[in-house]
Amino acid sequence: MIDNAFLSIISVAIPASTVVVFSATGAMVTERVGVLNLGQEGLIGIGAVYTVIAATEWGIASPWLCLGIGVLAAAVLGAIFAVAVVIFRTNQVLAGLALALGGVGLANQLGTNRNGSLYRTKFTEESPFGLGGVGQIGEAVFRHYAIVYVAYLVVPAALWFLYFRTRHGMNVRAVGENPAAADAVGVNVLGMRLWYTILGAAISGCGGAYLVLTLTRSWSPDIARGRGWVALAVVIFAAWRPFRVVVGALLFGAMISLDFTAQARGWDLPFLGASDLAFLLSMLPYLVTLIAILTPAGLARLGRRTRATAAPGALAIPYFREER
Amino acid sequence: MNTIRLERRATSDARRSAAFRVLGAVAGILVAGLVLLITSRNPFTLLGDALDANFGSQRGLEETAIYATPILLNGLAVALSLRMKIWNIGADGQFLMGAWAATGVGIHWAGPDPLVLLVMALVGAAAGAAWILIPALARAYWGVNEIITTLLLNFVALQLVLWATLGFWRDTKSAVVQSAPPVSANLPVFPGLDFLHIGFIAPLVLTAVLWWVFRSSTWGFEIDTIGGNPRAAAFAGINVPVRIVLVMLCTGAIAGLSGMIHLSGYAFRLNGGISTNYGLSGFIVAALAGGSFIGLLVGGLFIASMLHAGITLQAKGLSTYIILAIYGAILLGIAIGEVAARYRMVRERYDPATEAAR
Amino acid sequence: MNAEAPGAQNAVEASGITKSFGGALALDGVDLTLAWGEVHALLGENGAGKTTLSNIIAGIYRADAGRVVVDGVEHQFRNPAQAIAAGIGMVHQHFRLVAPMSVAENLHLGSPQTPRLVTEKILVGRAQALMDELGLHVDPTAKIWQLSVGEQQRVEILRVLSRGARVLILDEPTAVLTAQEAHDLFGVMRQLVAGGRTVVFISHKLNEVLDVSDRITVLRGGRHVVTRDTAGATARELARLMTGEERELDVTHRRIDGAAVLELHGVSARNSRGLIALSQCDLVVRGGEIVGVAGVSGNGQTELAEVITGLRPAETGTVVVETVDLTNASVRNITAAGVGHIPEDRIGVGMVSSAPVKDNAVLRHYRTDELSAGKQLKRTAVVRFAERLVAAARVQTRSVHTPAGQMSGGNQQRLVAHREALVGQRLLVAAHPTRGLDVLATQEVQSALIARRDDGAGVLLISDDLDEVLLMSDRIAVMYEGRIMGMFDRGDADRARIGLLMGGHAEEAVAP
Repeated sequence: MIDNAFLSIISVAIPASTVVVFSATGAMVTERVGVLNLGQEGLIGIGAVYTVIAATEWGIASPWLCLGIGVLAAAVLGAIFAVAVVIFRTNQVLAGLALALGGVGLANQLGTNRNGSLYRTKFTEESPFGLGGVGQIGEAVFRHYAIVYVAYLVVPAALWFLYFRTRHGMNVRAVGENPAAADAVGVNVLGMRLWYTILGAAISGCGGAYLVLTLTRSWSPDIARGRGWVALAVVIFAAWRPFRVVVGALLFGAMISLDFTAQARGWDLPFLGASDLAFLLSMLPYLVTLIAILTPAGLARLGRRTRATAAPGALAIPYFREER
Repeated sequence: MNTIRLERRATSDARRSAAFRVLGAVAGILVAGLVLLITSRNPFTLLGDALDANFGSQRGLEETAIYATPILLNGLAVALSLRMKIWNIGADGQFLMGAWAATGVGIHWAGPDPLVLLVMALVGAAAGAAWILIPALARAYWGVNEIITTLLLNFVALQLVLWATLGFWRDTKSAVVQSAPPVSANLPVFPGLDFLHIGFIAPLVLTAVLWWVFRSSTWGFEIDTIGGNPRAAAFAGINVPVRIVLVMLCTGAIAGLSGMIHLSGYAFRLNGGISTNYGLSGFIVAALAGGSFIGLLVGGLFIASMLHAGITLQAKGLSTYIILAIYGAILLGIAIGEVAARYRMVRERYDPATEAAR
Repeated sequence: MNAEAPGAQNAVEASGITKSFGGALALDGVDLTLAWGEVHALLGENGAGKTTLSNIIAGIYRADAGRVVVDGVEHQFRNPAQAIAAGIGMVHQHFRLVAPMSVAENLHLGSPQTPRLVTEKILVGRAQALMDELGLHVDPTAKIWQLSVGEQQRVEILRVLSRGARVLILDEPTAVLTAQEAHDLFGVMRQLVAGGRTVVFISHKLNEVLDVSDRITVLRGGRHVVTRDTAGATARELARLMTGEERELDVTHRRIDGAAVLELHGVSARNSRGLIALSQCDLVVRGGEIVGVAGVSGNGQTELAEVITGLRPAETGTVVVETVDLTNASVRNITAAGVGHIPEDRIGVGMVSSAPVKDNAVLRHYRTDELSAGKQLKRTAVVRFAERLVAAARVQTRSVHTPAGQMSGGNQQRLVAHREALVGQRLLVAAHPTRGLDVLATQEVQSALIARRDDGAGVLLISDDLDEVLLMSDRIAVMYEGRIMGMFDRGDADRARIGLLMGGHAEEAVAP
């Protein structure tokens, strides 16, 4: 039993943030090639609903297989988006919103008869190397679902290695920063954008699959609950760095779990009831995220730096070779 | 052999672009209809029912107009900022804050109706403007992209409204739980009509005003210049950051006003579900119109009738979710149409030298 | 990396190349033959098709018709990678470098020879080896944005050569270089052709072409005019071939002692990166004279123009226009005082490409009583004003309602230049007003500046083209690292001394 308030927040925040970690990582992977995918809500929703369908309708018992199906569905949706923005060069904001709306609507539609339906497929908690037994810290940090470690350690490490230690990753970064330059040296700009947009969508879909296999363990409409939008903010806050995305998402999760902890411990505010505190705390994650976006920009402005943002130079700009 | 090839133009003329956006929207609806067909609901019956629901009776027409009011107002708000290439995705939040602030006035003060309504309108518009103030300042002076910042505040606004309706303004006297008490003053209904409140005039008047501003005023000229090239606007002596803030505050005020009108004309009491995606619908309408305010009026009525039909059809087993999916399809259709308008087919020249080389 | 022994074939034989953009014919059946081991100059005005032709040979564009034979083998390049594989590399006017990445990374981008796994150490080591082999050096760990333009160009050349290019196309390489840097570049070009490679040198600067090339091909209006040996060619003859007619601007100079229209006292300002770019500048421009500001780009000239015209705040000092202190005044007030500004980046700063020509025409005048009453625009007056300006500037456009971006670059430039001349009733600040213009358009703009001067306005002409400054100016100021290094009357102006001052060598320049 964890009785330290901070550790208890951490132990709740880690699994609660995992959805945002996946979605923000997916968004980052997409943005690193210069494509802005605002459709995170839709990807989470589709990833979640197909995982539920796999677990209920198709009766698949392996959570990893169900996850795979959810991810695949998100990738298919991501592929439609990718073709629209990369090949047809549609406005990325419009197409992204279309994906957000359409994805959520479609997911809700597909999940109509599955509200609250129960399934046994779920992840179990793991304690790597028995670290979960090492005191309260161990319990807080190392007693989670295996996929949590994937989100927090394996994926960011793999992406860091890809971006900063491989030839391919170097080319990927160039596509996001300056596609004309990448094209001039023979990098396949459209191909990179297409595949990484699909990969990003798949990673984001992972967040939805995770959600229904661990936290909720059932389907409910509008399952993403704004986490996809928060994820997009986290990417900005994290300056498009894989490990900083994890930190940013965890910050968001900590806000959510503050809410839980406050309720569980019956914290109170002077003049306000416990339910008022709950409402205030439920606004907190979004406000903190907002502040987290504004702070670096404001600091950069005060410090008179030109490059106020670390955003990929070609973010949200379609690439045309023959333009003149 | 001559071959046909697509060629892209850097700019496309407005009429062609508008036609393609409409085509794209229609294609989106067709695709959605196809999905409905596959999911074994007959879209033609649905279409018939929808037409009937909207236009089959005076009541249907009036209700469509009621739904159209907030959609048109939010659409105008978004379209105004789009003239500056600014995406206000927070119209929903500003709408909610407008309704929230107007509720604050309307449940605590039972003065003469016109006065109460006037104060509610002012407070609602001010709340909407206040809700976009921080994103506006951040965008204008720090260059922070407004898409995420305006959107995040939607969630905060929703939480605030839920808090009000479940907490501090909760109606304890009525059986209607989870909502604030009804406001003291309501917008009157048009004389001779049964449901349609006079708030429907607001989007019509505002459309006319914006149309004039952008057709023949220096304000419109300056806003369009900023939208076209902010550096050129600064070069021409326009104070770009101040204009950005002012225009964004105006869009927030319009969205806030739409919340107040919807509250006092139709909903009468604040609850968490007061906005049926009105902000998003407004966004789609603005995207469809592509900055044309007259086009927005037509497109807004169209989208409103779809939404209204969708709500009516819920009784016949169609879920509201499918409406959201159709929105997505329409928006994607608009986006593709916008791009397609820039392409023209050109005929490759026949050339014996290349031919011989093959 | 190693230039193979030239074969018996020509390096490149392009024939019948035709290409159109949006209905406008850019190239019409052009032929070009490049031999191994030569510097081949491609000469022509803007819009002559030099860059388009090069882009087709380098696989950037696909020709509508025609064939390209490289070293005896016909190719249909679908992308630049295929051209690179065939040994053709191009260095563009606008560099294709990734600014936030390092020199070493940029040299390795997109190359199949780069090891699959890389660390900074590996990349820097390989970059260093390449530089040593070719005798071209840049700090491999520096980020691109930290480099001077000349260094960036060297990175581009290094990269193209590292891919095994045997035909190197340089698109207007000297446009952005200092005299010294250009001289160094010519040395590199000679070194490359000595090793058997072929260099295509695109330019419209006749002296440079005569200096460095072995053969010259002249293009005009998308057609091939002539290909000849450089030996025996004269600048006058080439100019005639380029423009199709012979014209020379005749400028009379005079010494003016009239009242100052612009006085700067101790003006300092920061650039966009927050560094001091202009320090303690004193400058006087009198009505009826052209003051030229000579200097290599990036030595504070842009900031100077922006401070005077209200686009950038001055940190210290005063800016006085005709006895009125306009230090840090708004652009509106400065405009109202009769100060026009032809900005360096005319299309990026001075124009709204998506807006119709008429809106661009009135961009600086729409608040005048002629064009608006209160907040209401007089729409017919706007159209009339625009039509007048279009006629006066000889801008070719379908109508004033067409988006300005649909006009050619030259027409857009003319529109801005004439509009600003109209604003600048008292003072016209012209920053590199002829950069990127061909001979004819250059003369037009220069004539417009002289006409302004003759009307009694002061003209501040900022240019990195010393020939232009010497031709146009009544007095000449030289800028280096944000300071005004010297001031010359037209009669005392000495090219060598100005050149030294531009390079920051004040002591040597002072000595006679």
